[in-house]
Amino acid sequence: MNWQAIALSLRLATCVAGILLIAGMPIAYWITFSRWRWKFLVEAIVALPIVLPPTVLGYYILVGLGPQNLPGKLWQSWFGHTLPFTFGGLLVASVLYSLPFAVQPFSAGFESVDRRLIEASWMLGTSRLGTFFRVILPLSAAGAITGTVLSFAHTIGEFGVVLMVGGNIPGVTRTVSIDIYDQVQAANYDVANRTALALLVFSFLVLSVIYGTNRTALSLWRRR
Amino acid sequence: MSLEVTIEKQLSGFRLAVEFTADGMPLGLLGPSGSGKSMTLRAIAGLETPDRGRIVLHERVLFDSARRIDVPARARHIGLLFQHYALFPHLTVAGNIAFGLRRLPERERARRVQQQLAAAHLDGLASRYPRSLSGGEQQRVALARALAVEPAGLLLDEPFSALDTHLRNALERQLRETLGSYRGSTLFVSHNLEEAYRVCGEIVVLARGGVAARGPKEEIFRHPPTLEVARLTGCKNFSRARRATGGLVQAHDWGVTLRVTQALAAPPEHIAIRAHHIHVRAADGTAAEGRENVFPCWLAAMTETPFRVTLDLRIGGPPASPADFHVQAEIFKQEWEAFHTLPQPWQVEFAPDRLFLLPD
Repeated sequence: MNWQAIALSLRLATCVAGILLIAGMPIAYWITFSRWRWKFLVEAIVALPIVLPPTVLGYYILVGLGPQNLPGKLWQSWFGHTLPFTFGGLLVASVLYSLPFAVQPFSAGFESVDRRLIEASWMLGTSRLGTFFRVILPLSAAGAITGTVLSFAHTIGEFGVVLMVGGNIPGVTRTVSIDIYDQVQAANYDVANRTALALLVFSFLVLSVIYGTNRTALSLWRRR
Repeated sequence: MSLEVTIEKQLSGFRLAVEFTADGMPLGLLGPSGSGKSMTLRAIAGLETPDRGRIVLHERVLFDSARRIDVPARARHIGLLFQHYALFPHLTVAGNIAFGLRRLPERERARRVQQQLAAAHLDGLASRYPRSLSGGEQQRVALARALAVEPAGLLLDEPFSALDTHLRNALERQLRETLGSYRGSTLFVSHNLEEAYRVCGEIVVLARGGVAARGPKEEIFRHPPTLEVARLTGCKNFSRARRATGGLVQAHDWGVTLRVTQALAAPPEHIAIRAHHIHVRAADGTAAEGRENVFPCWLAAMTETPFRVTLDLRIGGPPASPADFHVQAEIFKQEWEAFHTLPQPWQVEFAPDRLFLLPD
């Protein structure tokens, strides 16, 4: 097995999950509680990566981050190098690609919190931020866990976007899924088989954890 | 110590426009569901924004549409007891009560929690979670939580509606006690008139988004200003009415002419009497005819509760069916047992000082 690729995938997935845990929460909060009439447009944009072919998304990210366009230019002037074909570029692409997998469970979690509990918190003099950390987040922990684990797992499993934006540079952008592809291309079925199996088992475990936590978290307050 | 409320808000079914003030005594907000009670309460709490109006609590302006003042709910210092209590399921009883006391030093916070636990008779339940509490205990925790922050006003949204009857009495007594020592303004929302009567000094009756009556409770129950308020305060007997000769009033639907103590200001539209103010008895040998406000009556139907019976009575002749009756009388079972086997017609009597006249 290609341990370098595995380590890279884990590093990437951890970073993506961490970024989305922090950046996805405000987006999910806004989507859940905003009364703006055009809110659905934002929801649709967030959900785009679910339906778009990874190549389409990858293409736009590649072009957008390229040195000819504004985001790419800004990045280059700040950091001195371009994003495509670097770990940073891969990270940006992966965060965008996994956005719905974090935001939607977060949002579903917030949605499940009884509005009256939120109002009760306000009536006791607690700010919106305080209410978020003391009422909303503890009561939607299952959604937060699900979103984080899903975005982690989804990043481990991505292929098209990585190939488009990151290319296939060993140790920099060659992730596990790309490594499997490479092994198959090189007719190393043995290695490909072992890596594929490892990924399969990993994914199964992750999903088990999610469904398991959801059940426990749901029944946690009821049992007490 | 006062609460002044003027609110206008367009709702989906109707327009809410209410105006009232409350001072030391608990003020009851009485009305059927959909009359705007809850919306009024939520607007005072700051959870809904009125289209227009002004809300002042103890000389502090909480909302004023003209001056663009809208203090957020968290800064209004108002305690709200939700209908279903809204206790935080992930916090213990003590955690719930301490929730609004974050800014206090640890020792003071613990002291307040202890004080509330003791006052609400919740000692021993401090480390329990809401799920494991009975409905009555949950309600007490919710009240303790609201009072712990020492709010300037207290809003109670149908606090007994989720409880069994046998719990209500005890909790109601406890609530009256608690409110007795509470020095802020209290607003008590209810659709149960007896409950509102027991808890409150003054009552505002809401109907279809507007104030239908307001004033001391005794006054509202004794002389409801309109037919609607009479109905809302539990009056069951109405008849269209017309002024007759000799200061009498003719009750159209009952087919009788009655003497009434209440002075006739305007031509009355309706005459009414509460079910428990009607006297029913067996014929005592003297004919009903010729005696003022006494008439022969026949029983159309009867319903009983443990201690009382409600009699549907027809005046002037036997009923054609159980639904054919003029008035409903409510009497104690003992009284009923004394004459129910005796032959009909019985006699029904309307006390002149219990009859009231309603303008349009």
